[in-house]
Amino acid sequence: MTESAASSPDTDRRESLRRLIYQAAELLPAQGPITAFAFLNPLQALEHIPFDDGVLKGLRLFGCQPYLTEDRYREKFVRGRIEAVDVIAELKQDLGPRGDELIAGLSTRFELRQAMLLYPLRTGPSEELQWFIAETDALRRMRAEAPTAIRKLFLDETQHWAMRDLRNGHHRLDDPSQRARQILLQNLFGDLPGRFGAASIEVWNERTWEAFALQALWRMSRHGAQHGDERVQPQPLARRHRDWLLEATGQDADALVHEVLIRYCAAYADQGFADWALPNRELGFYQAFLRLFAAHGQAPGDWARPLIGEAQRLLQAGTQPMDCLLAELDELGVTEEEQSEFLSATLLALRGWAGLIWQMEVRSDRVPLPANAGAIVEFLAVRLLLERLALRSIAHARLDFTAPLAELRSALQQQLAPPSGTSVTQRAFLIFQLAQVLGWSVPRLLALSRHDWNLLITEIEAFTGLERRRIFQKGFEHHYRQSALDALAIQAKQPASRVDRPRFQATFCIDTREESFRRHLEEIAPQCETFGAAGFFSVPMYYRGTADADYSTLCPIVVRPQHWVTDEVVLSFEEQHQQRARTRKALGTASHQVHRRSRTIAGGAVLTAGLGVLASVPLVARVLFPRLTARVRKGLRRFVEPPPVSRLHLERIADPPGPELEHVGFNATERANMAERLLRDIGLTTKFARLVIFFGHGSSCLNNPHKACYDCGACTGAAGGPNARALAAFLNEAGVRTELARRGLVIPAETYFLGGLHNTGDDTLTYYDLDLLPGTHRGDFEFAANSLNAACERNAHERCRRFQSAPLNISLAGALKHVEERTEDLAQTRPEFGNCTNAMGFVGRRSRIRGLYLDRRCFMHSYDPSADDLEATILGRILGAVVPVCSGINLLYYFSYVDSPGWGAGTKLPHNVTSLLGVMDGPASDLRSGLPWQGVEIHEPMRLLLVIESRPEALRAIMARSTVVAQILKNGWMQLALLDPDSNALLHYVNDEFVPYLPEKRTLPQAPSSIDWYRGWRDHLPFAQIGSAASEGVSS
Amino acid sequence: MNWLDWWMHALGIVIVVGPFLLLAGLGLPPLLSVKLSERVVSRSVQAVTSLGLLAGLALLGLMLATGERQIPIVLAHWVEIPNYHMLLKIEFDRLSVPFVILTFLLCGTISAFSAKYMHREGGFNRFHLLYSLFLTGMIVTSVSGTIETLFAGWELVGLSSALLVAFYQERPAPVRNGLHVWVVYRVSDAALLLASVWLHHLRGHGNFDAFLGATPWPEGETILGAADAFGVGLLLLAAAIGKSALVPTSGWLPRAMEGPTPSSAVFYGALSVHLGAFLLLRVSPLLDQSPLLSVLVVLVGLTTAVFAALFTRVQTDIKCALSFASLTQVGLIVAEIGLGLRYLALIHILGHGCVRTLQFVRAPTLLLDHRRLEDALGTRLGVQYAGTAEQAAVSFRSRFYRWAMQRGYLDAFLIERCVRPLLAIFVCCDRWERRWTDWLAGSDSRSTEHLPRHAGTADDFT
Repeated sequence: MTESAASSPDTDRRESLRRLIYQAAELLPAQGPITAFAFLNPLQALEHIPFDDGVLKGLRLFGCQPYLTEDRYREKFVRGRIEAVDVIAELKQDLGPRGDELIAGLSTRFELRQAMLLYPLRTGPSEELQWFIAETDALRRMRAEAPTAIRKLFLDETQHWAMRDLRNGHHRLDDPSQRARQILLQNLFGDLPGRFGAASIEVWNERTWEAFALQALWRMSRHGAQHGDERVQPQPLARRHRDWLLEATGQDADALVHEVLIRYCAAYADQGFADWALPNRELGFYQAFLRLFAAHGQAPGDWARPLIGEAQRLLQAGTQPMDCLLAELDELGVTEEEQSEFLSATLLALRGWAGLIWQMEVRSDRVPLPANAGAIVEFLAVRLLLERLALRSIAHARLDFTAPLAELRSALQQQLAPPSGTSVTQRAFLIFQLAQVLGWSVPRLLALSRHDWNLLITEIEAFTGLERRRIFQKGFEHHYRQSALDALAIQAKQPASRVDRPRFQATFCIDTREESFRRHLEEIAPQCETFGAAGFFSVPMYYRGTADADYSTLCPIVVRPQHWVTDEVVLSFEEQHQQRARTRKALGTASHQVHRRSRTIAGGAVLTAGLGVLASVPLVARVLFPRLTARVRKGLRRFVEPPPVSRLHLERIADPPGPELEHVGFNATERANMAERLLRDIGLTTKFARLVIFFGHGSSCLNNPHKACYDCGACTGAAGGPNARALAAFLNEAGVRTELARRGLVIPAETYFLGGLHNTGDDTLTYYDLDLLPGTHRGDFEFAANSLNAACERNAHERCRRFQSAPLNISLAGALKHVEERTEDLAQTRPEFGNCTNAMGFVGRRSRIRGLYLDRRCFMHSYDPSADDLEATILGRILGAVVPVCSGINLLYYFSYVDSPGWGAGTKLPHNVTSLLGVMDGPASDLRSGLPWQGVEIHEPMRLLLVIESRPEALRAIMARSTVVAQILKNGWMQLALLDPDSNALLHYVNDEFVPYLPEKRTLPQAPSSIDWYRGWRDHLPFAQIGSAASEGVSS
Repeated sequence: MNWLDWWMHALGIVIVVGPFLLLAGLGLPPLLSVKLSERVVSRSVQAVTSLGLLAGLALLGLMLATGERQIPIVLAHWVEIPNYHMLLKIEFDRLSVPFVILTFLLCGTISAFSAKYMHREGGFNRFHLLYSLFLTGMIVTSVSGTIETLFAGWELVGLSSALLVAFYQERPAPVRNGLHVWVVYRVSDAALLLASVWLHHLRGHGNFDAFLGATPWPEGETILGAADAFGVGLLLLAAAIGKSALVPTSGWLPRAMEGPTPSSAVFYGALSVHLGAFLLLRVSPLLDQSPLLSVLVVLVGLTTAVFAALFTRVQTDIKCALSFASLTQVGLIVAEIGLGLRYLALIHILGHGCVRTLQFVRAPTLLLDHRRLEDALGTRLGVQYAGTAEQAAVSFRSRFYRWAMQRGYLDAFLIERCVRPLLAIFVCCDRWERRWTDWLAGSDSRSTEHLPRHAGTADDFT
């Protein structure tokens, strides 16, 4: 009794600590194994607060940039990707009525901020500014950007003032205030005319006056800048001891800790790369660590000498990880209040590895060798143990600090000077620059009181660099949004109608890459109809192919499938299948042995000394002739591949679903449900063509650990072919059709469904189960296949315009060859660009945007608002997937581009695959999550503009039902606009209100075909109406 | 000189002059603020390497056809005073020609690789400039006929290696590791320089044909006495240890994996890491003279091989695993040299270079390979290593694992036994100097040390 009573506050403390840790862990990158790439917002944990607040908090927590730098926005200005009107519109919107307030009688707040945005402001350390003033022509020539009218006004006013007031002095010296003013004038400017030759002031030329005016302005600015209040920037959030110590000594305790911790984490997380596994791994992260370092041997460094003793002590005392953690926190003097922030900061210091271990713990279904329960707590305990030793060692060696570490921070706080605010020179320089573009001449500035000066300085400093970048970002988004909505307003005028008697129908993934494919297909075959749907086609499953060792997960990352599906070779090929499987196994074993042995002494010696020189043949061949080598390899592989005829095992024999033979597949109801759901979602319930094809997509490339990020995002980085294949099989099933007909969805008997796979890397198509195609449909298939093959060629051609290494005058056939070579080249770091450049999404009828050139930047999900009920049930379930998935993709691209080394994975070139789970930079670094620079290079970072063909009431109802959708849209992590299904009016969703959008343009440029529009251009292209052919298909 | 000799000389000149022209062609324009396009840069590297490769093959053909085993070419006299001279001399024989061919082959292939791999990367031209510096260094080292020429090439290789390790100079780790590599290289350079000085002191020159005997490699016989041979050989061994990351300096090899993949491949998989072995091969007649030295070489080689083979077993990332795998073979090669198996060592180097380059270049494809392998074997590979409990003779296993994971504590050993004492001496000297200057100045003589680092930040407004 007494014991439990005594331990209860302790238990409480442990529990609250555990909660805090789990909360903090939500901030970690949600990237598990890199082979199943998770497209998620890196700030997903902050989606409950508005975007702009979220990114600022991200900056504080992660130290990564929220927006592009000002210079990069200005580059976009030069290239016309942002225009002044965009920035001005957004600034007006942002300021509201506050914009008209006059600041110190000089300019309105709006004018001031506008000038700060449109004309680059420079600043730097005071010394640098002084050098700049002294050594450049800053005091001789006005800023080139100053508008001519303002420039003239500024110079004239200064000239008048100099001739009248300054030269003549003042008459009423009896007035004390006037006298003080006179003294000030004399002090400030007394010697100035003399420096330019006071005697000849009447005949000074323009240049002299310019120099005089600037000199006077600089003196004035410096004088005025003294009147600003001292503003010391607030200290960052509860800083870690390491930050203080780094500032005081320049030595980074994290560098020491990480050297040990990274190596250990990699050993712990390893999925079987190393020949020797970490001893005692099964005991958990913490126990294995203690046992490893309790063993006799040297410490990993001087600083870690006590580690061995500590590990032995903890082992002997049987200290639990949580107790160890509590003891370390006490030792470091972390108070209860700051615990939350301290723990987040500590976890985030090595966020890639911590995130991986967290993912291995919570998504144990995604790794063969998961982490033990509570691994993240153990990680923190180990980390703090190491951290304490490192801090202790540095503090002792560099500062002679021997008091308890709990006192370290307060001691350093007293010792270190607080960060200095902005200096007088820096302030003066800003005023100096602004005055030139806003026409604040010296006489105007002289009129300012002390209070006015302070006000002015406060106002200028309130519009910080971060604020300016926020407005720039909004302007950037504004520019694209205006042109997108204009284009939609014009395009939507065409009647919204389905294609009559379509020759065939093709459904592709929602992916932006399929936008061009759909467009080309419709150009080639105007009688065809296309659709867009999430690429797992509402068939979430674990899938194992005929030659796969294990199941892979084919559905979005947020879904846990309930069903297993296998692909099985048909019985007539069984013998060949078995034989080839044996051959593959033998070859696999051999190559495994060669790879493994090549790293041993004897095996390596035999291999390298005996046969090594032969390796030069594949080396040279693969590097110099990638395409030829790939051909040869493919030809050879044909002899060991599984036989071509196989069937998906879709009909479950026994409940419940499971990975074993009888439990694989779906029951009849499930099959009918899935088939119905997808058809209703995309609005394909009438006007079926004789042939309907579903295309999943995937990508092939070599030598690329990030391959999965080019695959289907809706299948977590796998190819969605099997999903399309399964769906087609459901829909061809007589039982399913009967059931669907009972539910009011009648599929004509002559309609046949086919599954396929689009390889977005080399632009090839694969069709499944062609052997089952009825003879009656042969002609339909040949027609469709011809059109689709032509579309592949054109699609490859359009993609090539983005590749610097493909000439702009490349031919159609050459383009196909080029993209094929890219996927087979060991040296190619950009096999394709994935969803790069994504900027908008459309949910609605295809006919609304058919024939609109969207430059491969638009997600597209088909949806028929006229078939939906009042509560918008169908739209609700579409958005339930589309909003988080598309915003996840879009924001991952956004952040990976905005701060590539911070949020993204940096450049690919030094990447090093570790533990079979992720990549590091070089031999040891934090695990890199996010997208590599090569994959986002041509992106334009902006929040996705989702346009939905629906009405506000429907959206309100959906947002009330789904918090995920509501959070993302309301907090502005995604932009939203609505296209009215009947009136074609556009509504823009701002601050939780639907505001009518008034189009600015009346016409769109037109081009006879896509190729005529994009040919010869590498950069982003504006919207255009393509061809009469595409729209004819609709109207005919 | 008959026309065959003339041709062989001409080919030799082409081999050596090409890289220098390349270096000048890539290095001078940036000094004149001319930016070369990616195309021009990669084309010139490929042109020079292809030309060099053809010249090397032709020379090999001619040498085999004519039975000529040694072609010395004197390029210039650097210093010439009575009884003392320094000579820029190159020599083609059975050792240098295969090395030249290997260098051009790998450098050429990898330059074609990096033309695409480095496409649009910031520092594309810097990479290729350093790469051509490396190529020049490798060729000069391979064909050198005197120890001073060899030293020149040796230095260029070291310089370019260290700069390429620190290629991503905006991050701290590459710079720190680049410095680590550089320091180890400098120490080994110092040993080579001392050996060179010693030779000049003894004989007045450092021509290989004079002190290693005029018979072509590998049959030469040194004219040095046993003691001198041991001394000079020991210094050369020290140089080789640093350059080839032999024990106890092995710790730098994985650290060198900071650069872009192609440079890691060609430097630490194939060429640069074999340079120490090459040096030992070049001076192998010294080993014949001093059995003690041979024993030492074998010991160092075998220790390295065993250590590296054990380290590689616990590495969890592909590049470090490959770098230690590489070192395993380098250790063996060194041991072979110590045992007098020179041709074997040479073949081993050539084969190993090719295999490792291929493996390094394919390193990023590991995940795909692993998946394919699992599919072929029909089982998950990772899981079978899971249950290690039964193998746990725990304490011993942990101890051994940790030893391997910490790479034999070699870095700690170097830092504590070598770096720290040296630093202590310098700190002590510094203290004395400060006392002396303070006394002279009558006040604090280093007031600048107390200035704050930087008054403001670049963007005070954020």
